[in-house]
Amino acid sequence: MPTAVRRHIINNPHRVIDEALDGFALTYPELVTFYNEHNLISRKTLIPGKAGLVSGGGSGHEPLHAGFVGRGMLDVAVCGAVFASPTADQVHAGTKLANTGAGVVQIIKNYTGDVLNFQIAASLADDDGVPVEQVLVDDDLASDNGNDGPGRRGTAAVVTVEKVCGALAERGAGVSTIATRGRDVVARSRSLAIALDAGAHPGDPAAAFELEPHEVEFGVGIHGERGTGRIAYAPADDLVEQLVTPLVSSLQVKRGQAVIAIVNGLGGAYPLELSIAARNVHNLLNGRGISIARSLVGTYVSSLNMHGLSVTLTVADDELISLWDDTVRTPALSW
Amino acid sequence: MTNLIDGGTALAWFTAFSERFASTQAYLTELDRLAGDGDFGVNIASALERTQERLPPAMEATCTTVFEAASRGFMATGGTSGPLFGMWFRDIAKGTKNEAAAVTDIAQGIAAGLSSIQKLGGARVGDNTMIDALEPASVALTAGAERGSTLGEGLLEAALAARAGAESTGDLIAARGRASYVGELARGVLDPGAVTIALFFEAGADTVGAGRAWQPLGATA
Repeated sequence: MPTAVRRHIINNPHRVIDEALDGFALTYPELVTFYNEHNLISRKTLIPGKAGLVSGGGSGHEPLHAGFVGRGMLDVAVCGAVFASPTADQVHAGTKLANTGAGVVQIIKNYTGDVLNFQIAASLADDDGVPVEQVLVDDDLASDNGNDGPGRRGTAAVVTVEKVCGALAERGAGVSTIATRGRDVVARSRSLAIALDAGAHPGDPAAAFELEPHEVEFGVGIHGERGTGRIAYAPADDLVEQLVTPLVSSLQVKRGQAVIAIVNGLGGAYPLELSIAARNVHNLLNGRGISIARSLVGTYVSSLNMHGLSVTLTVADDELISLWDDTVRTPALSW
Repeated sequence: MTNLIDGGTALAWFTAFSERFASTQAYLTELDRLAGDGDFGVNIASALERTQERLPPAMEATCTTVFEAASRGFMATGGTSGPLFGMWFRDIAKGTKNEAAAVTDIAQGIAAGLSSIQKLGGARVGDNTMIDALEPASVALTAGAERGSTLGEGLLEAALAARAGAESTGDLIAARGRASYVGELARGVLDPGAVTIALFFEAGADTVGAGRAWQPLGATA
């Protein structure tokens, strides 16, 4: 297979994040404000006395996290360089911005750099007298190797966590209640992903890895790293089944239980492909007597332009579904 | 020879540290390229630049404000080593609340910072990280302070202990940090974070007039 040279619609590889955030904020002036100094996207109008919700991480996962800033989700998104944690200084600035008197809940995807910089920022905020609670999202089943390494990676379940915690904050809950619920959502969630092609960094002519036409990378994360193995290229239904079966088994979802499902594009899968995948997620779960109480299909947590998808299941109950149904008004999620 | 670190001495310490780092940066980058992802030298250099921008003017500087500036400079840096240095400098700043710091203040701040870094990173001596140089240096400085050593004696002993600790990382397989991903391949390669800790203490000893003609680290490895 000829190795394609990847081109990008950019001006300058060093200005990608600043220019993209500027354009994003110009597009949604009624929803968000851009703070250039620390690359923060904040909710247009912060609510005094509401628990603040902050998330962030490396860029390249759009619409995460800036796309989920607004009513019913995040107050501040802290945007690092492509696939690199924001600095402790940036996260500290974002945490201070989000605090309107009731403290802050930080939602962190489990990566070494993110965890370190958010912990330092929480410690700095504590010195400022801002109470901070943290929710660590570690839903990626492929990186579950049981030993004492860095643990499971954080991937698309972060959307569910941000939605549910955002709804609770909007209802007036305190940081400790929100964080407890957030950790509960993480415990009920697992994700798995496959890719047909890796993404390429802005300005980089080569993709992170190359596959033969008969290969599919299984268990990929969201940073262009290799997966846990390679499986044979097959029709969508077969590929999706290889994601759903281990998720159901790991979460021990029983007949009669309900889930929230996210069929998520990794940046290079087009909507038709994702809907075909979603169709089989529904068929497979229905066939097992598991109801999909709510679901999303689309690109929510991407890995640049990786051609692939992930499936996230969260075991749901009535309270979770009620929080999911609360009003949300953000650039990437609205109802 | 001074027995107190006032603002001027603290500024001179960071100037000396920046110079020692600049003359060693290419070697540190090479170490990180062998055992990590090669960004260590650039990250610490940019942290030192950010520190320079934030340092107070000499007339207004105190030991505390200088270490606070360094803390902010390092925390505004990417990677993991920069923020850990930033936390360490922050604890040193907290330990030196007077105009000028005595050897006991510095020793306490350095020990508190060591404990913060260990809490965040989970590393212990023998894991092939900056801790391998920092912990023996901190222990030597604290012991010196308790014995009533002068500032110069204390910093010299800390520098010698940090050097020995940094040299020891050549024999270790990393258990934490970036080098843990390459395992056996990193044998014989000094940990750049540990070497940088040694440079910091050497610069401190030099600044208070207790330094010596330091041989390059790793020359015997």
